[in-house]
Amino acid sequence: MLSRRNFLGTATALAGAAAITGRAQAASIPEAPTMEKVTMQPPLHPTSGPDYNPVVTLNGWTLPWRMNGDWKEFHLVAEPVEREFAEGMKAHLWGYNGQSPGPTIETVEGDKVRIFVTNKLPEHTTVHWHGVILPAGMDGVGGLSQPHIPPGKTFVYEFEMKHSGTFMYHPHSDEMVQMAMGMMGMIVVHPRDKSFRPVDRDFVFIMSSYDIDPGTYLPKVTEMTNFNMWAWNSRVFPGIDPLAVRLGDRVRVRMGNLTMTNHPIHLHGHNFAVSCTDGGWVPESAQWPEVTSDIPVGAIRAFDFTADNPGDWAFHCHKSHHTMNSMGHDVRNLIGVNKKDLAKVLGKLAPDAMVMGTTGGAMGEMEMPMPDNTLPMMTGSGQFGPIEMGGMFTVMKIREGLARDDYKDPGPYDFPKGTVAYEVEAPQSTAPRQVNDKTKAKPAAPQEMKGINMKGMKGMKGM
Amino acid sequence: MSDTHHIRRRTPARRGSRPAAAAVLLSSLFLSGCATFSPDAGMGVVAGVAGETIKKDVISIKTQDDALRADGAVKSLLRRSLTVDSAVQVALLSNRGLQAAYNELALAETDLVADTLPPNPTFSISRISGSGAVEIERQIVGDILALATLPFRSEIARQRFQKVQLRAAEETLRLAADVRRAYYRAVAANELVGLLTDAKSTAESTAQLAGKLGETGSLNKLDQAREQVFYAETTADLATIRQEATSSRERLIRLLGLWDGDVAIKLPQRLPVLPRRPLSLPGIEVDAVTHRIDLQIARIELGALAKSLDLTQASRFVTMIDVAGIDRKTRDPEGPPFRERGFDVQFQIPIYDGGEVRVRQAAETYNQSFNLLTEKAVNVRSEARNAFRVYRSTYDIAGHYQREVLPLRKIISDEMQLRFGSMQVDVFALLTEARQRIAALRAAIEAKRDFWLAQSELQTAVNGGGRGESQPENRSSTTAQASGGGGH
Repeated sequence: MLSRRNFLGTATALAGAAAITGRAQAASIPEAPTMEKVTMQPPLHPTSGPDYNPVVTLNGWTLPWRMNGDWKEFHLVAEPVEREFAEGMKAHLWGYNGQSPGPTIETVEGDKVRIFVTNKLPEHTTVHWHGVILPAGMDGVGGLSQPHIPPGKTFVYEFEMKHSGTFMYHPHSDEMVQMAMGMMGMIVVHPRDKSFRPVDRDFVFIMSSYDIDPGTYLPKVTEMTNFNMWAWNSRVFPGIDPLAVRLGDRVRVRMGNLTMTNHPIHLHGHNFAVSCTDGGWVPESAQWPEVTSDIPVGAIRAFDFTADNPGDWAFHCHKSHHTMNSMGHDVRNLIGVNKKDLAKVLGKLAPDAMVMGTTGGAMGEMEMPMPDNTLPMMTGSGQFGPIEMGGMFTVMKIREGLARDDYKDPGPYDFPKGTVAYEVEAPQSTAPRQVNDKTKAKPAAPQEMKGINMKGMKGMKGM
Repeated sequence: MSDTHHIRRRTPARRGSRPAAAAVLLSSLFLSGCATFSPDAGMGVVAGVAGETIKKDVISIKTQDDALRADGAVKSLLRRSLTVDSAVQVALLSNRGLQAAYNELALAETDLVADTLPPNPTFSISRISGSGAVEIERQIVGDILALATLPFRSEIARQRFQKVQLRAAEETLRLAADVRRAYYRAVAANELVGLLTDAKSTAESTAQLAGKLGETGSLNKLDQAREQVFYAETTADLATIRQEATSSRERLIRLLGLWDGDVAIKLPQRLPVLPRRPLSLPGIEVDAVTHRIDLQIARIELGALAKSLDLTQASRFVTMIDVAGIDRKTRDPEGPPFRERGFDVQFQIPIYDGGEVRVRQAAETYNQSFNLLTEKAVNVRSEARNAFRVYRSTYDIAGHYQREVLPLRKIISDEMQLRFGSMQVDVFALLTEARQRIAALRAAIEAKRDFWLAQSELQTAVNGGGRGESQPENRSSTTAQASGGGGH
């Protein structure tokens, strides 16, 4: 799963060096582990320092550390990476330790952390520890609180994690480009007291958006609104792993938003309460129930709930374009146009294209040939057919009897008999409806709405 | 002969046998120079040129049989779709203008035969009588000089005839070149008509779609008009191209010399594909200078002039001699009738101009012709070079369209279809793309037409039969055509 080889190797070397001089130990830098897989990695249980119940990063991983005296030492390498958004589409991004977003940094309240940051980007960078209360000189704002880290150089950040909670890290140096290129990650600081609002399953992800033209690999860094990839941990549905949950588990989902718009995140089948923001824990007395939590730009929300309702539950952003993958934004509405008419046009313009959109957007299971390196606008399928979703969408799968650290996809839900919506025997087109006089009186039947007729061209037709 | 002055002198008939000997001598002279009518009326050269340079048969239609044969050949050629070769062949067999040129040739042969015959002798009898005396004088007058210069003159006449023959051959080549040009234009117009017919039907259905979208409320009047204007423009374009196709077809029919029932010629829908590689003609200038018929004609002209200059110098001092054999009978009333025999020679001596004027005239005419020939040769070389360069560049341009522009357009078209399929672009974006593709296809057809025209010009530049500088065709550019397409 991660290459510990270098990491451990260096640790051994360090031990040798420490025997000769104490200074060398402080000065030497731990190797940075790297990750290649894009699937959700199992939680990383602490082997040293205070114990805690680790988080699981959606389609991501947690950065291993080493203890050096009382210091927890991490090593982030800022570097170009290749990230697969879902099968069939790869993007050339910038990230940390082989992935974008970078690995989750997990610590415990009161930990002294030393984070080495090596810059392998072609330009300078810094890391800002978003939401962490720390000395000004460690805040990572290039120019303001520290010099930018030049390419090829390593800087070190040292501070104490004074507060537990959920935070983010991202550059504060050529921020627009570097964040648009995918440089970001999550920080989870566990309470020192394990009994403080504990949960059984703790999920974390960061939201980001990209504009990647079909057939290209680099996001457009100047885009402000028209993104076509709305991603959780730089993955889009169906590339986002399901959230497997044992029935009855206490579940927490921590979400950071580094897109340029807010995201109303909606979980089906349960109500939940926001338990934490990047400002700290919400007192239990102040929490109110929700099924959708709006997450502002540059903010964090974590919500807690008890998974008491088994099944496959949609979990998604409620902005419907954010649950779509790449699509054009300047496409005319073809609803109401006869399919045959359209087929006639398309047969001449694009013999291989299929007719769609005349009754709505539903594309069902049609497999369209597509440009290189792009994803169908809506996709994914469930046991009843196409799910017709993309982007910020996944499924919370609540099942009985999962093991504690079992986050594997448990497969489709086995619905108890008689609990699925079903078709009833009803004669078509006679659905009883109240007759509305107003609509009846409306004169504008579609046929009477005049478009431009072809009068002007009739004379030329015979030619 | 009428302008010669006779100076008569009576000489004794001592050497009565002399005129007979001279007659024998002269007759042997002129018999050698005498031409007869050729069985093919001089068509051999024309047929040779046509066969060698354009590999076609020519025929001078003189009899009912000829006409039937030509007609049969034309009919069988017209049964199939015309190629450029069959079109040229049909024209050579049935263009009446060309037949008229061949008639001209036959007429020229009559001149040749006339010029190679010795001058007819003049017979005269005079009888003078009075007061019982009668004098009867019989004369045979022959133009000895004309007879003496007969070989020269017949040679000149032969060369003149050769020139006329080459002129007829040139006419043949010119007709062939005209047919080729008209053929390529007509076929290119056909291909464009095909392209624009497709374009129109595409534009028509998208215009209808735009109308439907207006009805469903998806497209405002502005956008509907924008989508429909392509249909309107394509319709106009198609009408123009159809008219061009009809005109160019009629021009071809005129050149083919077709009448009534035969005008239903079948033309292919597309121009032939480009040759795999262009000709490389390093010796094109030499070829042109050797083959060009107009140059050959000019050379013959010069040769003839040179001959006639020699002739002029030879006859510088004695321009015209009449020899008359005289046989005179005189009967005097006083005496018995007696007979006198003798001959009479008359000649003109150019004592005033010493023949110098005519010599100068001949010399300057010769020099003029020589210079004109040289100029023509210079032009021919230049024309050949230019025709070859035009041929190469039109090949490269047409090839560029085939190898670069059209494949790129195909990629764009495919990618746009993919983008449409994955809902990246609107259906009307496909139309915009289609417009650009049509413009590119159109430019490609025109480039191919220009190549075939240039290839035809190249043949003309080497063999002759051209009409001087040809105007370059207007080619519609892709970008110009496609602009204003998708501005919505």
